[in-house]
Amino acid sequence: MEIQETIHAYLLTEFGGDRDGFEPGENLLAQGVIDSMGILKLVSFLEETFGIETDDDDMVPENFESLAALCAFVERRRSE
Amino acid sequence: MDLSFSPEQLALRDEIAKFARQELNQGLIERDRDESFSREAWLKCARFGIQGMPFPREYGGGEADIVTATLAMEGLGYGCRDAGLIFGINAQMWAVMMPIQLFGTEAQKRRWLPGLVSGEAIGAHGMSEPDSGSDAMSLATTAVQRGDRWVLTGTKTFVTNAPVADVFVVFATTDPAKGFLGVTAFVVERGQPGLSTQHISKMGLRTSPMGEIVLDGCELPADALLGAVGQGSKIFNASMEWERACILASNAGAMERQLEVCIEYAQSRKQFRRPIGKFQSVSNRIVDMKMRLETSRLLLYRVAWLKQSGQDAVMDAAIAKLYLSEAWVQSCLDAVQIHGGYGFTTEFELERDLRDSIGGRIYSGTSEMQRNIIASRLGL
Repeated sequence: MEIQETIHAYLLTEFGGDRDGFEPGENLLAQGVIDSMGILKLVSFLEETFGIETDDDDMVPENFESLAALCAFVERRRSE
Repeated sequence: MDLSFSPEQLALRDEIAKFARQELNQGLIERDRDESFSREAWLKCARFGIQGMPFPREYGGGEADIVTATLAMEGLGYGCRDAGLIFGINAQMWAVMMPIQLFGTEAQKRRWLPGLVSGEAIGAHGMSEPDSGSDAMSLATTAVQRGDRWVLTGTKTFVTNAPVADVFVVFATTDPAKGFLGVTAFVVERGQPGLSTQHISKMGLRTSPMGEIVLDGCELPADALLGAVGQGSKIFNASMEWERACILASNAGAMERQLEVCIEYAQSRKQFRRPIGKFQSVSNRIVDMKMRLETSRLLLYRVAWLKQSGQDAVMDAAIAKLYLSEAWVQSCLDAVQIHGGYGFTTEFELERDLRDSIGGRIYSGTSEMQRNIIASRLGL
């Protein structure tokens, strides 16, 4: 839950505009919330905040398309 | 960081500069005026081994390491005054050949790389669209799978080499719901039904033809797919990192050539009974040109070294691209100013350098986008 809250707060601050929040399953890619510039920031944030490493092969929709997908990705990386 | 060059590397740079000076500058004022592309010069470069320099020998390349290739391109820029030709070659090497080399299947590499190395084929990279430039991944071109074929529909614009290219690397979305991670790369050959190109005139780099690619229900076989479906963003970013790291190496060579021209002029041109170089307003300007050149070289070879040693170079490539492109524009302005009225004339060829230099602040990501990349890497 802590991971989700942290990522959610970051998404809201960086990409939220005037929104109140994001649903866990909401498609962030289709809506353009996370775009090609935004993902650079997001990846830096995830790496620094959660101490994980990402590489080019991680850049797939399954890891970034929603808040839930982002949480699952971070949890998976942390458990490795 | 090791920034020393071997005698062989330095000899190669000098050899390329000599070749370029002797073979590539003929009729340049007229070719620039007429927006005329020289296929002959393109082929001469290929025969010399320039297009294939960093690519594997099995495809006809020279298998040079990135530091050597960068140094060679600097030599090319020093000897060759045709910035358009150099730009077109770079666009092909880093944004067409490199993605095929890095992401293509063995069959794709064997099919396209030898011709691009030998100069028989010319390559173009189509990403920008009429409504998507800096935000390149918001493209509208679609790729729809029909059976074992792909159908591409859309328009690519500001495509270097498009009017003369035989092979095109183009990007399209295969799934808009996946945003930029739904972008996919394809290799398209000229002659494919549904593909056409048009010429676009421009202020500089006029010997390098630029144009539009129109994909009107262009049907492609399954093996036209470059990399995996949805891998377009990764392929594009890799291409741009290479391009940003290397495309301005020749500008460092051109800066050195221009510096020498300005020093010679400042020593020989006399006003008020002394060489104009004795006036600090002129000499200081030349000193600034020298400082820009040396700083550019340090940034350039740092990126080459980072890439050669397999390290992340996204931010450093953006810094180098931003600095070199801006420095080149400023040095061109200085060169024109130092030459006064002569600098303003076509005959002295400094006004062409200035027109050519402006493109560097726009292509491969604008200066503004490079700053955004650097800022994002700083956590801003």
